[in-house]
Amino acid sequence: MKLSKFLSLAAFITVFSLLYVYQQTEIFRLAYIGQKKLAFLDVLLDKNSVLRYNIEKNASLACLGDKISGYADFQMPDNYQLVSLLPAKKKANLKKPASSNTGLLSRVFGIKRQAEARTISP
Amino acid sequence: MHIGNYRRRTEAVFLVFLFFLILCIARLFYIQFFRSRYLAGIAKKQQNLFVELEPVRGAIYDSNLKQQAVNIPVDSLYAVPNEIPQKDKEKIIAQLCPILNLERSFLAQRLGRDKSFIWLVRKLSYEQSQAVRRLNIKGLGFLKESKRSYPNSYLAAQVIGFAGLDNIGLEGLEIYDDKYLRGEAGWGIFLRDARQKRLDLWAKMVLPKDGYDLVLTIDETIQYIAERELDKAFEKYHAKGASIIVMDPHSGAILAMANRPTFDLNSYTKADKDRIRNRAICDLFEPGSVFKIVTASAVIEEKKVNETDRFFCENGSYRVANHILHDHTSHGWLSFREVIEQSSNIGTVKAAQILGPQLLYKYVKLFGFGSKTDIDLPGEIAGMIKPPSLWSKTSIGAVPMGQEVGVTALQLASAISVIANGGQLMKPYVVQEVRDKYGETIKKISPVVIRRAISEDTANRVKSILGGVVENGTGKMGKIPGISAGGKTGTAQKLEPNGAYSHNKFVGSFIGFAPLENPMVAIVVTLDEPRPYYFGGVVAAPVFKNVAGDVIKYLKSHQLAEGEMVIE
Repeated sequence: MKLSKFLSLAAFITVFSLLYVYQQTEIFRLAYIGQKKLAFLDVLLDKNSVLRYNIEKNASLACLGDKISGYADFQMPDNYQLVSLLPAKKKANLKKPASSNTGLLSRVFGIKRQAEARTISP
Repeated sequence: MHIGNYRRRTEAVFLVFLFFLILCIARLFYIQFFRSRYLAGIAKKQQNLFVELEPVRGAIYDSNLKQQAVNIPVDSLYAVPNEIPQKDKEKIIAQLCPILNLERSFLAQRLGRDKSFIWLVRKLSYEQSQAVRRLNIKGLGFLKESKRSYPNSYLAAQVIGFAGLDNIGLEGLEIYDDKYLRGEAGWGIFLRDARQKRLDLWAKMVLPKDGYDLVLTIDETIQYIAERELDKAFEKYHAKGASIIVMDPHSGAILAMANRPTFDLNSYTKADKDRIRNRAICDLFEPGSVFKIVTASAVIEEKKVNETDRFFCENGSYRVANHILHDHTSHGWLSFREVIEQSSNIGTVKAAQILGPQLLYKYVKLFGFGSKTDIDLPGEIAGMIKPPSLWSKTSIGAVPMGQEVGVTALQLASAISVIANGGQLMKPYVVQEVRDKYGETIKKISPVVIRRAISEDTANRVKSILGGVVENGTGKMGKIPGISAGGKTGTAQKLEPNGAYSHNKFVGSFIGFAPLENPMVAIVVTLDEPRPYYFGGVVAAPVFKNVAGDVIKYLKSHQLAEGEMVIE
């Protein structure tokens, strides 16, 4: 074998080997990067499934039903009608009650002809 | 130097090198041909990691595909006691105890072991896991596992059952259909780096086969309505136990099944066996007057009696062999329709005496009593009915009104469905479909007719009588506003340990269906030892009324919604 041929063959084998080694290191490097991304994705997926489960749990009839029966006295009547409220076309002409214009003295000593309904906080 | 000496020295050096070369070649030859398998094995062990790949357990859905059992990822905490310095252990235990809610002694014992891996707590909650992570303790680690979780907590708890720590079914459908839910584990040989860390590069891998999903016949909304009403009665009447079954009488599909007391599926370890037991299929009881539907069907089917035939009810006292029968209210002459409406024991027994023990027994069996219904749930019992050859002289005065027989609530549900659907005994079932994770059907469960128990004409006539029970008879409290219904009340004395009937322990029950003309649901309600009221017509009939009323409204609105969707 001629020396030049031998050298070119050796160079080819060396380059090929280097490429192979480079390819292997790249595979491992990418595997590490992929693994990191996968771990992050796993965390996100896990959080997503936990969140979805919690939504499902909080929206479940058992949970909602317990809350309604636990905190409210609401009960559906046996007979009910649905009514819809339409917006009034004209503004109602509401007069202010006379008492609001009266002063303190007239309110104390005055005789009222109409009973006043007032809200009382329990 | 003489050239000859130089040559000899060169030859000596050459020979020495040659010798070492031959030694090397011999060694390589030995390694290659005699030790290669052993060494390759060691290398493989270092580079490869065998990992079992856990399959995902199948989910359980209700009939509207709402999740009833799912898997959520959770962390399990382990320790490497060898890596934790002795002096740090006390501090770690003090930090972990309040977070993990564990005894100090338990943690001390675990961390005190001379091991390289030990579980501390498996399947931690998210908050616990985050709290431990924040401590950043060397020698503690987390492994990801999947935890079986139940979003509806206690809804249909005894039907769904639960799976254990290793995701193996332990109760209810989780164990009965474990073969579908479990799936098949896979495996993979993964590469490891120089630090023995697993890389996501695999040499070989067999993917796990995930478990199949179950679609139940149970409807979450109907189940909730049933449990809500059962709960109210259970608490109001301080009952020892209670059960309710809502069934589609035409198909045998169970729409709801609930028991009290119950438990939270997410913390099943805290529940005692009494709460876990599915009373509706596992508990045997004497049904009492609800059993009169069998006697009524039998005498009408055999044409021994018709609705207008009159019976003298002996003003409330009648002797059968050496036993005196009583009615809860004294009656004189009653038509057979009135006998059932007023639940007269004497009138029913007189009708059964015309029929005779053999024929009565035949119909008891035809209605499915004394044998398992073969529902797809674990732990069902067959009930108890003696053949006529073993009957005593008083048996004909007991069996027709539901004494000397042991039944389950499910058998009663099947029996009332016979009347509701026109005479056919249907096989009850709770799973309607098994499907894979892509939604492809693997197995479809269709309704099964076990047998025809009575003719359609007889069923309709008994249906009409049971309508009278709710309108004019003992079941008035089961009357639903705006919806017709049929049913039968039952109040059975419980047996004392000495074999005598108790005077203060009763089982109050109501079996019925609605609407009367074309029944959509058949319902069984039983309350064990209710107090202070115990009559089935008082304690169980209102539960039927509320459940049937709401369920029928719901089913009708559901049908309407489906119809609208088709039009769109």
